[in-house]
Amino acid sequence: MIIRHVAARGSYRALVQNRLKQFRRFFSEVTSIEATADSSVNQLQALEGQLNSQTAFSVPTASPDTQAAPLSGSVAEQYHKFKHLEKHFGHLGSDISPHYQPHALLNNPPSPADVTLELLLAAEAHQGHLTSLWNPANARYIQGIRQGVHIISLEVTAAHLRRAAKVVQEVSRRGGLVLFVGTRDGQDRAVVKASQMAKGYHLFERWIPGSITNGQQILGKCRTKVVNEKDEEVPGFEEQLYDRPVLRPDLVVCLNPLENYVLLHECALNNIPTIGVIDTNADPTWVTYPIPANDDSIRCIQVIAGVLGRAGQAGQKQRLAAAQQGHITYRAARDLRLPEEVEEAISPEVMNKLEEGMLDDGNGLDEKLDQVRNRERSGRTLKQMD
Amino acid sequence: MGRYDFRPMRVRQTAKALFDSKRIPGLPQWYDIVGDIPPGETLARPVLRAPTPKRAKKPSRMFQPLPIRYPEDKLRSEFFGDHPWELAKPRLIVEDSGNDAKGYDWSKIVQPGKQLDGESVVQRQLWLMNNRSLSQAAAYDVARREFYKHRHLEDIRRRVAKEEALHVGAYFGKGPLEVGMELEDRTWENWKSWASKQIEDEEAQRAQMFSGPQTETEISETDFDAAIEEESVPLAKGAPPL
Repeated sequence: MIIRHVAARGSYRALVQNRLKQFRRFFSEVTSIEATADSSVNQLQALEGQLNSQTAFSVPTASPDTQAAPLSGSVAEQYHKFKHLEKHFGHLGSDISPHYQPHALLNNPPSPADVTLELLLAAEAHQGHLTSLWNPANARYIQGIRQGVHIISLEVTAAHLRRAAKVVQEVSRRGGLVLFVGTRDGQDRAVVKASQMAKGYHLFERWIPGSITNGQQILGKCRTKVVNEKDEEVPGFEEQLYDRPVLRPDLVVCLNPLENYVLLHECALNNIPTIGVIDTNADPTWVTYPIPANDDSIRCIQVIAGVLGRAGQAGQKQRLAAAQQGHITYRAARDLRLPEEVEEAISPEVMNKLEEGMLDDGNGLDEKLDQVRNRERSGRTLKQMD
Repeated sequence: MGRYDFRPMRVRQTAKALFDSKRIPGLPQWYDIVGDIPPGETLARPVLRAPTPKRAKKPSRMFQPLPIRYPEDKLRSEFFGDHPWELAKPRLIVEDSGNDAKGYDWSKIVQPGKQLDGESVVQRQLWLMNNRSLSQAAAYDVARREFYKHRHLEDIRRRVAKEEALHVGAYFGKGPLEVGMELEDRTWENWKSWASKQIEDEEAQRAQMFSGPQTETEISETDFDAAIEEESVPLAKGAPPL
């Protein structure tokens, strides 16, 4: 019945698989891979005999070697075979272009020059919240009302995004610390990618309140390092770094300001400029550079974080290029001394992250520093015990 | 102002004030950057939206955002009013490049890369009104009939696909009619058990009220027949049988 119909159509492979499935149902014991391969080959040959007797045309025989080959080939052989097939058959089928590929926004984000209104529209950056939930301070950014929600003007979004990108680029060029924060679900990958490109720092879990205002307590045990203008670590500053206050970011980019009020307030208290994605129900006065856009759309967040990351990448490239030329784009850290403490060793070629003038030892500051260091050292051993 | 906290906006001025009063040793390194790239206007009132507002003459209402309206909206409400179940069809609203609608040519109702939808009917109707100078009703009829033809073709394809699948051995789950029948049967059985329980309760109550011997409601068939054919039993002595 079924066998004759399907064989008449010529779909030999489907028939074989169908019959093999029926035979496999009667296998009660667990057999090894070779045993199942052998038994399936035997069934195949029996089936071939049956078909040859029933149908007019002769069925091509399958040798056990061709059946067993894909199972026993090495991984390298299988990989090469796969690549060969991909090369010859991968281009077949329909081509849908330009097609939205979600991974492209993360792996290859757009740069500030690629920001167009169409890109922002496709990323749903214009979708605001219900009209009754708006913050009237955002009235300038809103184009109109559609289906009961406010629509953010995409020209405004593009202009603010380019401005924020320029700030990130300049801060990166001047060697500042940029912190990318995005604590909602699905924002972690975008935040990490942006910080990697801009050589900055990221946060996708909860911001611990007091990390800036009470930084010494919360971040005091974090390792700091001294780097030269080419971003190479310079060893020998461990003693001096131990006494230094905790680092603070020079710029904070927040992708969901509504949940991170504490972070933005701490930045305001400590005079740190901030960039934030401001939706129609968010407060634009919480950040220094608002970007009016939809913070609920992950695609929109990926576009914005990608653009800012690319800007940071460009800034870092400029900084390193200038360093290669011998021009340092930033001010050195204060109060750091060379580990050798030899004044004549400072030559024009040795360009470390130091001030030119050394600390003056005339007023007994050195002794005081030693005392402080000894006290701190005993405290340090206690700290290391927990 | 009291309610607002402008410290994030005033980072540069604060930095300068701190430096001038020698609270910090030097200006921060972003000082020049923020000076060169000033933040935009915040809390600025938008431009006058409606010079002659229809309802409210209050100034605060004149600066509120206006609704966005398109000429297609009326056509959409007409189409979906006539075909409400088209609203239940799933829609894919993800855009690819943002320029998806640029390459559409509404001289045909089916566009590559776009679902056949009420939206295509509306756009086709608008195109006919603008390019073929048909009236709104005439264009609606033309577009509507093309739409019905394509939906009919889709239905045929679906039916044939199901037949082909059944032929080569596919099996489907329960259809809506079968599921509905099962639910009805289950509800019927529940009701039957509830009803019989109610009958028992009522009979028990009745039995409590009357203290006399209880007659059995159910008797066997042979006893029933015998009771009917019992003609020889006279009602009284000497009286003829009934």
